Amino acid sequence: MPLLDVGYRNWQGVRTPRWSRAMVLATTGIHLVWKGTWLKRVLMFMAIPALIAGIFVATYEQTIDRSGPRELIRALGRNPQSRSIAARAGVDLSDATENPEAYRHFTWSYILFNLSRYPQAIGMIVVLGLVAPRLISYDLRSRGYLLYLSRPLTPAEYILGKSLVLFFLLFMMSALPALIIYLTGLFLSTDSTAIAQTWDIPLRILVASLVLMIPTSAIALAFSSMTQESRYAGFAWFAMWVIGSVTYNALWAATQIGQARPRRRRDMGFEEISSMYDWSSYKLFSPYETLGYLQQQIFGLAVKDQWVWSPWILAIIASVVGYGFAYWRVSRVLKV
Amino acid sequence: MNLDHSSENLVFELESVSKSYSGKQVLKDISLAIPRGVVGLLGPNGCGKSTLIKSILGLVSIDRGKGKVLGFDWPSQVRIVRDNVGYLPEDDCYLQGLQGIESIQMMARLSGLQKKEALRRSHEVADYCDLGQERYRNVETYSTGMRQKLKFAQALVHDPQWVILDEPTTGLDPAQREQFLDRIYSLANEMGKSILLSTHILHDVVQTCDYVVIMAGGKIRVVDSLENLQRPSQEGLQITVVSQAQKLSQALAAQGIECKCTSDAEFVAVGNQRSILDPIWKTCFEEQIVILRIEQAKNSLEQAFLEAIRS
Repeated sequence: MPLLDVGYRNWQGVRTPRWSRAMVLATTGIHLVWKGTWLKRVLMFMAIPALIAGIFVATYEQTIDRSGPRELIRALGRNPQSRSIAARAGVDLSDATENPEAYRHFTWSYILFNLSRYPQAIGMIVVLGLVAPRLISYDLRSRGYLLYLSRPLTPAEYILGKSLVLFFLLFMMSALPALIIYLTGLFLSTDSTAIAQTWDIPLRILVASLVLMIPTSAIALAFSSMTQESRYAGFAWFAMWVIGSVTYNALWAATQIGQARPRRRRDMGFEEISSMYDWSSYKLFSPYETLGYLQQQIFGLAVKDQWVWSPWILAIIASVVGYGFAYWRVSRVLKV
Repeated sequence: MNLDHSSENLVFELESVSKSYSGKQVLKDISLAIPRGVVGLLGPNGCGKSTLIKSILGLVSIDRGKGKVLGFDWPSQVRIVRDNVGYLPEDDCYLQGLQGIESIQMMARLSGLQKKEALRRSHEVADYCDLGQERYRNVETYSTGMRQKLKFAQALVHDPQWVILDEPTTGLDPAQREQFLDRIYSLANEMGKSILLSTHILHDVVQTCDYVVIMAGGKIRVVDSLENLQRPSQEGLQITVVSQAQKLSQALAAQGIECKCTSDAEFVAVGNQRSILDPIWKTCFEEQIVILRIEQAKNSLEQAFLEAIRS
């Protein structure tokens, strides 16, 4: 018995607008997933690559300002991977040690692209694999959707609310650290032209994050809506990335063998390494490679390549089909 | 089928509502108008009660039909309707991972309450629904009875005008059931809420409802006030004795009083109340049978229900 039992009382207050209700779903979802210890560990671990990227940007700016040792810039000019990507971006690195400030845009983009392409993309796969499978499948198992949808919430808003949970996590993982690194670079730079040189990088970071967020969230939610058992959804999610990567690498290795080229990275020369960054239709088999190439395009590191639409079309199809399927599943379960 | 009420006194008014699943028609051209108050929705399993409720809430899309719910056009304004309706689903449903109080707060926020106000109101309603300290436990650890209380709190937290309760007393022990029915009664009579109570338990309907709707085979069979449904076709008295109702009714029958024995402790004596009361007392005295209660004979709701679904 409560100390102050007031019984039932009528309530007369001002209600929040209906469009904001999906946000309730999102904030509660974030609160729920934040309880997970493993998620916190992964996110903390994910900060390490971002810290390293930040150190690279800071070192680069300090090198320019102090006219000090330019090992980092020399290394950038020697590295076949950076040379290959610079060639695709239309940048000649031969003059980089003499005039490093002219290469600021490329260097920052290259560092942020590498951060986004490798550690953040892999971290995104892990985090979505931990969080997303539970989002809809738990509601299907516990029939929580009946509670949600008996409120002024449509199935589309329900899906939006669940997506916002993933968007928030992915933003925290990808866009936010990259933006912080960008701002760190700006603050450490004494060169007043730095902003004029790099103003487009924050926009590229945001677009690259969106390209990472939308199709992956759509697929993850589609898997989650397929089953009441979140472990099956999690298994399907990881299987998709692994099978895609294995398929692409097998096809790529077969091509290398066909062309009598080395398959091991240490045996490769500039041409061979450069060919790894070419667009190939085989990449469409691997979501990881497809998204990677899209990020390369977004960061302006493929401007010399022939523009290809197929990865964009695949990302759009994955987004539409993923969200469409999740919507269909949520609407369908309402049958008595 | 309608009760005779003015349109402003109606909770909902449906016209020609039909719904089918995979070719099987579940709701067959239903037209129904329900006044404010407590309405019992009765019907055998699979007769379309839950489909009707979910249709009203827009959880299932109807094939055709229109109407007004709480004065709003239906189904076009179903989202406004949902803001004003509290729904306790029949299904065992909960929000996994949340504490009881958090899940009530979330439902309040989904219905438009600000975060802090939602928490304050959630505690108030949790007290009213007797959730006690269990409100701080995760909902997946709740017993069936606790989940029913939680769903009730979730249905009430935004102070709806109309509360739809689908099998609300399932899983409650007798004491909790009585408390639950008391709450329904007080909500209707003290707070002026309209309530739709869908149940199989006729006793709950008799105890709480003003009106009764009986569905069968996807159609509305009966819509009437409980008082009318319980009005007997013949005048008489219902007599409850300690035992030997059969012996007493036989003795009265020998005196020309028609009796219908319903159990070993109950029977109905048909006839003018004034003329049969004296012979009843006299016979009881002669047969040494103790009378516990004498009241005006009523039709049982069970009888009305069975007649409706057989018709």
